[in-house]
Order: sequence, then C-alpha cells, then structure tokens
Amino acid sequence: MIAAALIHPHGPYIDWAALSPLVALVGGSVVVLMVGLLRSRFARTQVVPFLTLVSLGVTIGFVIWQWHRHVAAISGALAFDQLTGTITLLVAAGGIAATLLSWRGQAPRESAHGDFYSMMLGSITGMVVLVAAQNLVTLFVGLELLSIPLYVLCATEMHRAASLEAGLKYLIVGSVGSATLVYGLALIYGATGSTDFSGIAGSISQGHSSDVLLLTGIALLTVGLAFKASIAPFHQWTPDVYEGAPTPVTAFMAVATKAAAFGVLLRVFDVMLPAEHLNWRPALLVLAAISIVVGNVGALGQSSLKRLLGYSSVAQAGYILAGVAVATTLGARATILYLVVYLLMNIAAFGAIVARERMTPYGDDFDAVAGLGAEDPWLAWPLTIAMLALAGVPATAGFIGKFFLIDALVGAGYTWLAILIVVGSMISLGYYLRVINAVWMRSAPGPSASAAAGVPVIAGGSPEADALGQTHIELRFAAVVFGGATVFFGIVPQPLFDLAQHAANTLSGAL
Amino acid sequence: MTYLIFFIAAIGTLAGAIGVIALKDPFYCVLALVVHLISLAVLFMLLRAEFVAAAQVVVYAGAVMVLYIFVVSYIGGQNLSGSAGPGRAGTLAAFACAGALVAELFIAVLGTGLKAVGTGGAHVAAGFGNPESIGTLFLTKFLAPFEIASYLLLLAAVGAVTLARRRGGLDDGIEQRAPRISVAEFMSARPYYTGTQHETLGRPESLPEPTQR
Repeated sequence: MIAAALIHPHGPYIDWAALSPLVALVGGSVVVLMVGLLRSRFARTQVVPFLTLVSLGVTIGFVIWQWHRHVAAISGALAFDQLTGTITLLVAAGGIAATLLSWRGQAPRESAHGDFYSMMLGSITGMVVLVAAQNLVTLFVGLELLSIPLYVLCATEMHRAASLEAGLKYLIVGSVGSATLVYGLALIYGATGSTDFSGIAGSISQGHSSDVLLLTGIALLTVGLAFKASIAPFHQWTPDVYEGAPTPVTAFMAVATKAAAFGVLLRVFDVMLPAEHLNWRPALLVLAAISIVVGNVGALGQSSLKRLLGYSSVAQAGYILAGVAVATTLGARATILYLVVYLLMNIAAFGAIVARERMTPYGDDFDAVAGLGAEDPWLAWPLTIAMLALAGVPATAGFIGKFFLIDALVGAGYTWLAILIVVGSMISLGYYLRVINAVWMRSAPGPSASAAAGVPVIAGGSPEADALGQTHIELRFAAVVFGGATVFFGIVPQPLFDLAQHAANTLSGAL
Repeated sequence: MTYLIFFIAAIGTLAGAIGVIALKDPFYCVLALVVHLISLAVLFMLLRAEFVAAAQVVVYAGAVMVLYIFVVSYIGGQNLSGSAGPGRAGTLAAFACAGALVAELFIAVLGTGLKAVGTGGAHVAAGFGNPESIGTLFLTKFLAPFEIASYLLLLAAVGAVTLARRRGGLDDGIEQRAPRISVAEFMSARPYYTGTQHETLGRPESLPEPTQR
C-alpha cells in the first residue's frame, strides 16, 4: 500500500473556502507588488496602500464568512478555527492601522511602496500560518514568513542609521530565536516521533511525559517563541528595535507580532502539550513575573516615547503570558481578550505619536507631545486614553483586560502573580502619567528649542523637515477610532467577551 | 566500517565547528565551515538520509559557501577583530549561558538517547529518506509548508532587492534617471552600431545611417 501511494501520490483535498483568508492575503501582496512597479506616481503612492487596505478588508470578510467552520485544511497542516479566525482579525486590524499610519510616511517612499506593503502583507500571512499551524514544520515556516519581511521592514527608513541598525539587530536576535526554536522542535520530534501536534499530544499521554529530551525541547521552543513575543529576559532587542524602526512598523510589530506570538503559544501549550502542564506552567509563570518587573522598571527612565512603549510592551507581554501560563480555558479567554485590548490602546497611542513625529521636529521625544492638549485635542485625547488604558484605569478597555487576567490567575490559585500584576500596574503609572503630564501640563517648547533638537528646519535640509507641520487626516482617524474603541469596550465589554469565548473554546486541551 | 566512518565524520564535524569560531583569518573560518558541513553530510548518509546529505553538499557546502567566500574576498582583509566587544563580565556571562545550555543538552541526550545505543536504532522502512519519498511528502502531507516556503522565498527576494537598492525608493529612480521609452521603441529593432559581430564583419557602408532615437 505504501508502494502504491509512492507511485501514484494523490494531492490532498484543498478546501479553498477555508483557505480564502490566506488566499486574499497572498494574492493581495502579489498584486500590490505588481502595482508598485507602475510608472504613475499616483498609482504607487495612493493605489498601492488602497489595495493593501482592500486586501486586508477582504481577508476580514472571509474570516467572518468562515467563522463557524472548523476545518483542518491541506492534510491537516493548517487549522482554520475560531482561534485562527480571531488572531487573523487582530493582525488584519493591526495591518490596516499600520497601512494608515504609513500612508504618507517616509518608510514606504524610501523602500518603494509596492515592496513595503507587499512585505507587510507577507508578514501578516506568516502570522496567520503560524497561528493556524498544526504541525512543527508549518509552525517553523510560518514563523520565518512572519519574521523575514519584518527584518526588512525595520530597515526601510534607509537614510537613518538607527533604522538600519534596528533591522540588523532584529535580524541577528531573531535568527538566534529561530535557531533555538528549530532546535527545540527537533528535540520534540526526536522524543515523540511525530511532527503533528495531535500526534505529539497522543505520544505524551501514552507515557512519554516528563521525558528529559521532550522537556529540553519544550524549553528551547519556549525560548524561541519568547524572543518573538519579547518576554523578558529575551527582550533586549525590543527597546532598540522599537526605537529605531519606522514608527508605523513599530506599531505593526507591537500589536500584530504580539497577537500572533501569543496565539501560537496558546496553540502549542494548550493543544500540543497540555499533558505536560505541570512541567511548563512554573517556567511560564516565572517568565511572566520577570517580564512584568523588567518591563515596568525599565520603562521608568525613558525619554523616547517609542522606547517607553517598547518596555511597556515587555511588561504587557508578561501580563498576557500569565494568562497562557495558568493553562485554563478562563486563562486562554483572558489572554485573547487582552490581545484585542492591547491592539486598540497601542494603535491609539502610536497614531498620535506618528502624527506628532510628522508635525514637530522632536521625533518621538517627550517634547513632541508637550502642550498637545491645548494645541490639538483630537490627538491629545486618544493618547491620554491609550496611556490610561495601558495602565489599566477603569472605564477603559485596559481595565477589563487586566481584570479578567487577574480573575483567571486567582481562580487557578496564583494569587501571587495577580498581586504582581497589580503592583506592576502601579509602577507603570509612573511612566504613563509622565506622558499625560507632558500632554496636558507642559507648554509646547518654543521655536528656539528646535535648534537645540539638532534638526535645523530648513527646506531641503532633511526629508522630514520638508513635511513638518502637515496634519494628516488618516493618522487622526486611526487615533480617534482606536481611542474611541478603547473607551467603548471599557464600558460595553460584552462583544469582546463573546469573541474571546468563541476563540478559547476551540482549545480543547485547556483545563 | 560504519563505526570508523562515524567517528571520522564526527571528529570532522566537531573540529570544523570549533575551527569556525576559533580561527582568526575569516578565510580559514569559511574553509573550516566547509569541513564541518561535509562531515555533517557524511553523518546524514550514515542515517540513510541520502537526499538530505546530497542537499547538504550541493546547497550548503556548494552554493552557500561560494557566497561566503565571495563576501570574505570582498570585505575580508580588514581588521575584523573589533575592539568594541563585550566587557569581561559580558564574556563570562556568555560562557556561563553556553555552558548551561551544553549541560542541559547533555542531560537531555544522555537521559534518553543512550537507551537506544545497544540496539540497531529505530527501524527504517525501505526507501525512507530517498528523493522520491521526500517528494511525495512535499506534495501530500507537507504541501502547505512547501507552498508557503516558496512564497517565503519570493518575499525574501523582494526584501533583498529593497535593501540592495538603497537609493530612496523608486521615486527618483524611475522618473529622473531612466529615459522614457515607449512600447513601440521597446519593441523595435536595436539601434545600429551597437557593436554586434554582424556590424564588425559585414560591410558598414551598406548599413543605413543610425537613426536618431
């Protein structure tokens, strides 16, 4: 029978309806790449981002169309269930926001618009593949497809050495993470004799549990994914890369990469390795605790808003990892809920920061937002709401997210970590409130200060300086919409509960 | 015989790997890497993974190493031992982490792997690891990662072009430097006197005057 199968191999059945979100993303990226080669400037600068938005919108539409189906597509390599659907919605929303933020930005202009948006869509495809992966091979290919375009995207503001440095740094650290991950995957395969998640879970439950080879594999796999999710102590690249990368790319990395990384962490630990939870749970809890402390303390002394948000993302990764670590359905639900909330508040903050970068000569320094409250309330309020939500103030979505995480932790008997989350949130007020202070209490720095900032505002002196002072409606739109959503879901959280419940129920292995 | 080959290849693998990081001259580092990769291919052969062994030699020891040698030839000769290395504490920490990882891997391998030492190893079906069975797997069970990997290669090429271009996007490139060429011009015959053999050997006086393009 094996010989017959070898001679006449039959391709697997391909469920195009289930695959439609992936097809929309891949097709969109190829079309965008081609349109980016057109001669007309209008086609390149306006049609390309528009087609990117169309592609992402169609993806979201397909996900909603296929919402209630659970399909193991292409020989069971990819699972299109509600977890995949939810994460696809999140990364597509992150992609839409990043497209809006970079629409008239510097990065796509320097790297050619078609290439820029095509790589962004490719990275989103990698995120979907990563979360949908049902075997180790697909998981690794998805991770690489996520990472490689991102390395290049970080380096797309090529006239800035910091951007190139960020790309190189992310490439090297990311490669170390990938190598660690693939080593772990090899050990897991060696210990269990299977590359499928279900096969691995079956092998573990048949008496291979607590095998040292398997545990080492799980440890290396966790480290590899922790690099991607920027969990301390594997976070050292995060502040540097966040600061150096073009700000729209930073926003995209912050929200979309994080959603995908935690989606796959949920999948790996709650589907592939639930039988080992006694062994991996303490490790994840400790990693979460370290992340919360390192991120919150590290953010205190920052003077760059992007670095501050980088450290803040380390701390937030700690909160989210706590939800994964408890290994209960409630914990998975809290994780997904927090990922949604995290997307809303970060895009609101980054929208305001990108707008100020283009309007003032101060880049992402605190001076850029000083006096924003009096000058431009339509940007000041989203930024304020985002900072309050990141700190977890009630009546914002950030509070709902933290509340559920703490509920899940206490319910599983990890009150100490819940207390640490609360303490971390209190420390975090120390830096989030500094931003709000700059926005509302400080006055805008005078024109003489612009010379001190080191960027003389001379026409033609630098590419940014020419564009200074322009207000871009799409940035305001992104900031206001996502800031408004942060408040809306803080008051009416029921839609988020339903979404998280749908997604978490597909994780059969959760306790 | 198998044991002899195994130990020779294993020594070659380890010596090559140590040579890569220990040798000073980058050119010798690359050569040490070649030794390492070829020894690794021999180990793959012993595991009856013929296809992987061949791919290892063709792709890594062949193509990739040629690239490395080109890079070393271009930028080599400079003083690569940068002074801005990590401090003493950083070096110690790096060695400590590496030592911990080695200890962990030894525990992992010794903890399980040695149970199989006295046996003939896992049973391997006939045809395991030959190109045919790998090709079949690519087109059946692993079709999705196979196709996604091809898309990944496309994006990697796009990214490489983006980085290599490094001249401020397409804006300046297309509109300012390159002359505009209409489709008719593009499809027309090449201009005269562009140095073909026909012009050299033929009678130039029989050719019409070059047209003004």
